[in-house]
Amino acid sequence: MDKKKICMVGDFSVGKTSLTQKFVNNVFSEKYLTTIGVKIDTVEVESTKLIIWDVAGRDSLSPINASYLVGAAGVILVADGTRESTVSGLLDIWAVVEKRIGSVPCVVALNKCDLPDWHVSESNLDEFASRDWSVFQTSAKKGHDVETLFHTLVAKI
Amino acid sequence: MESRTFKNKVQEFIRERVISKLQLAYFAVDEQMKVRGASSNLSDYGFPKLDIGKPVDEQIDFMIGMDAKTELDLPVVGSPSGIPISVSLMPDDDQLTVLISNASTATEQRQLLQQAANENELLVEQQKKLMSELEMASQELEQKNRQLEEASRLQTSFISGVSHEFRTPLTSIIGYTNLVKSDLAKMSEEMVPRIAKQDSDDYLSAVQRSSKHLLSLVENLLDHGKLDSDEINIRPKPTDLNELFRDVELLLTPLSTTKDIRFDIELDIPSDFEAIVDDSRLRQCLINLVGNAIKFTDEGGVSLKAKLENESLNVSVSDTGLGISADDLKKIRLPFFQAADTGKVGTGLGLTITERIIEMMGGQLEIESELNVGTCVTFSMPAPLIEPQLAVEQQLSVNLTELRVLLAEDDSDIADLVVMLLEEQGVNVRRVVNGALAVAALQEADFDIVLMDIHMPIMTGYEAIEELNKQGNTTPIIVMSASAVEDDQERAKGLGCAAYLVKPVDVQEILSIASMVIDVN
Repeated sequence: MDKKKICMVGDFSVGKTSLTQKFVNNVFSEKYLTTIGVKIDTVEVESTKLIIWDVAGRDSLSPINASYLVGAAGVILVADGTRESTVSGLLDIWAVVEKRIGSVPCVVALNKCDLPDWHVSESNLDEFASRDWSVFQTSAKKGHDVETLFHTLVAKI
Repeated sequence: MESRTFKNKVQEFIRERVISKLQLAYFAVDEQMKVRGASSNLSDYGFPKLDIGKPVDEQIDFMIGMDAKTELDLPVVGSPSGIPISVSLMPDDDQLTVLISNASTATEQRQLLQQAANENELLVEQQKKLMSELEMASQELEQKNRQLEEASRLQTSFISGVSHEFRTPLTSIIGYTNLVKSDLAKMSEEMVPRIAKQDSDDYLSAVQRSSKHLLSLVENLLDHGKLDSDEINIRPKPTDLNELFRDVELLLTPLSTTKDIRFDIELDIPSDFEAIVDDSRLRQCLINLVGNAIKFTDEGGVSLKAKLENESLNVSVSDTGLGISADDLKKIRLPFFQAADTGKVGTGLGLTITERIIEMMGGQLEIESELNVGTCVTFSMPAPLIEPQLAVEQQLSVNLTELRVLLAEDDSDIADLVVMLLEEQGVNVRRVVNGALAVAALQEADFDIVLMDIHMPIMTGYEAIEELNKQGNTTPIIVMSASAVEDDQERAKGLGCAAYLVKPVDVQEILSIASMVIDVN
């Protein structure tokens, strides 16, 4: 079976672990538990064994540790649609990814779409579209577009 | 032997203190990423026993995508056992060695710190968001407030404008009606039959009542607008309260007589003192309250009582009228409110205005009422006393015959009326239609007094007065304007005008003021 490594990257508390857990184990927890380093999960998607590296989020003190990205066939950029800074911050995070592993296939998850107070500017969406990224409004809580998100990336790699 | 023992001891030390303490595990792969060898304790971290010679990425998931040449340090990786591990990939000439150590302790500590730091940052973000929402809400409120203020200002300005526009034709209507009525009275029975004369007099009285009512509505609207924009000022001055109350009695008795109801007045006010009150505003309040009482009483009567004690004026106006229901009593002070089924007309502003003015004069209004029994309105307000000033004789002390008056007035109806009324009194009047002509007229001839309208074409009254002041004019100027806005009155005063009369003015008022002005000059 074909095996592929993918990475979940984004700011802290945007829902990378929640999206992964929803996709892999179909579970969701409201409790926020920050990820340290990286957690690795595996799941079979069609005929591919997907190794999902759930990388610790970027925060004001620590940047993304690009070492974790080495060997990834694709990335899922994750932002919290209710926190504008995490959406616009995706471009900086992508720059880190691109510098370390090149322009790998990428999809974008604008997570927490079940919450009110959505703050995603048109200019950010235009910027993502210009890079030919598939953008999904996801909800790890409700499961909205979580499957599509991962399947789209698998199809791209 | 000794050196061998020492070497063994060092190896044992490293095994004990370093390898076993860090629970170090390892494996090595060749350039094709096939397993060359591995430590037996890999299973402690949940990894399977590695098959030598087989590709490593088929056996260890985190090696997928790795190559034998890249040196890599992965500080914390979740292992299959759940124990956090630290992974170091160390390439050599022909192989890659992967060292794995237990990172639990460091991870636990970091987990605690990072969790607290991230939660804190989320709170700060949340706080910033709330602050910015608050700021936006506050800005929105401010903007709404500004819009409301602007709307209120426009409303006041509109009301003032409308009021002005109404006063001008009302001046004509009231003035000409008075004139026709007085002409009618002078006519003999041969000229007009008695019955027709009586009918005509009744009709003219109806026109007079209606136009005065209309005037009072306009004045109420204007006052309401001013109260809304805090433009009303209270100007207390020494006042003979007995005289003021008697004035009100004189003014309103005809109203009660027409309705065939009683109007009693009972005063307990020492006559050897004057009270410091705003006489015109107090008079306005009394007229409003007593006028209302008479309006809503069809049987019985109205009683006005006033008592001055301890420098406080206590007034009550009671009637045996329609009364007010408990529900309506709660709303009666609201602007424009009128009880539904009284069958009486008005703006619903009189009481609102009266209450506000009484409050501004330091008093408080109370209303007690019972439906179909009657209403009693009371108020108390400060009225400091002083010794009466020497009375100024305000009689017409000047012979007005041959008085030379220059009238600047653009409205021909009003101008004709004033000219006619003044000429009846023997006054010489010259009329001009704007400020510029008034200035020219004063250069050409001498006048004893100038009656100046304000809103005129070509040159306004104010502009003309400013021009005359520059030329050193000494003829007293009386402004006669439809504008009852206090700003206008202040401006006239500032320009040195002798008096300011608000239209509609009657000829006696003009002559009385003219006489005083000339007397003083």
